[in-house]
Amino acid sequence: VRIQQVLEDCGAGDVVAVQISGPSGVCLTPDEFRRQIAFEDVPTSGAFMVFGKDRDVFNVARNFAHFFAHESCGFCTPCRVGTALIRDALDKIADGRGSRYEINELMRLADLLKRTSHCGLGQTAGNPIRDTLLKFRPAYERRLIRGDFDPAVDLDAALARAREISGRDDADAHVDTHIGAKA
Amino acid sequence: MTAPDSTILIDDVPVSFKPGQTILEAALEAGVFIPHLCFHPELGAHGSCRLCNVIVNGRNISACTMKAASGQEIEVDTWLGESAQAYRRTLVQMLFVEGNHFCPSCEKSGNCQLQALGYDSEMMTPHFVEFFPNRPVDASHPDVLLDLNRCIQCELCVRASRDVDGKSIFALAGRGMASRLRPTLAPPIGEVSEGEG
Repeated sequence: VRIQQVLEDCGAGDVVAVQISGPSGVCLTPDEFRRQIAFEDVPTSGAFMVFGKDRDVFNVARNFAHFFAHESCGFCTPCRVGTALIRDALDKIADGRGSRYEINELMRLADLLKRTSHCGLGQTAGNPIRDTLLKFRPAYERRLIRGDFDPAVDLDAALARAREISGRDDADAHVDTHIGAKA
Repeated sequence: MTAPDSTILIDDVPVSFKPGQTILEAALEAGVFIPHLCFHPELGAHGSCRLCNVIVNGRNISACTMKAASGQEIEVDTWLGESAQAYRRTLVQMLFVEGNHFCPSCEKSGNCQLQALGYDSEMMTPHFVEFFPNRPVDASHPDVLLDLNRCIQCELCVRASRDVDGKSIFALAGRGMASRLRPTLAPPIGEVSEGEG
């Protein structure tokens, strides 16, 4: 059965992505909808998630990342810490403070989890991140600041207490946190 | 009849093993170092730290849980030809940022396997944002003082107490990043106040 056939049968229009086999499965774009649900092509556990044009694929991936950080049992290092690091990196991007650095880190972490995790949950927890990064890059890129790097600490927010004490709130008492954006 | 071949190749060096030995045990006995934290010769394998991850015949596997078998070709320093050091360093960094590890002020500094693997993997910084978890020291029991700030959840203490002493005074409780070592002599689950553990 082709993906397209399933979508037609259930009357799904304006589909931007289909996630097969749940969060740890594969994310397919419309140009892959001719692929077949089969062990040899797109294996499935029975889960078939359809995302319409009103869905933001970045938020889908971020939701999956939160899911895995919550699901990790905590037995092995890469999954216990890695799923939390992936979650935090996506939260940083969602905050509008992500840069190319986070994208590289996400790919690196997804690779590490796949290779070193003890069980299938950790080994596949990076799949939705890797898939959406490769296939829906614009969903990430439009959230990135233009610079190469932005500190994880919000410098301006960290100075809030100092501003309060000194009674200042003028422009010079603020840090341009998006330093990279000037470049 | 010829004797069964009992050698494995570790980074192209032949290493002999005894029946029943894991790859890690055979390597250590032969003087070949494979980084590890949760394995201890007297307590056996656990498979949780993932530092001893190696490539066996093309696939990643932890050397502490994989039994040695003749004909295995094992890569320790490289994974499929690529340096494995960056992967191990990342795992060590994960353990560092997850807990509260301040080597200069730690009494274990200089005699610490985690610190040693930091040096071994040429770790220069924690790299990731520190989680700085709040892990209060528990000195409420007359015999046990529990400082979880350095805990890497290797369960060596759990296994030593259970398997050597036969007392099982420690256990891991909770899930994911929230899992913590707990003394089993603490009030049972249900009697613990909200937000704890």
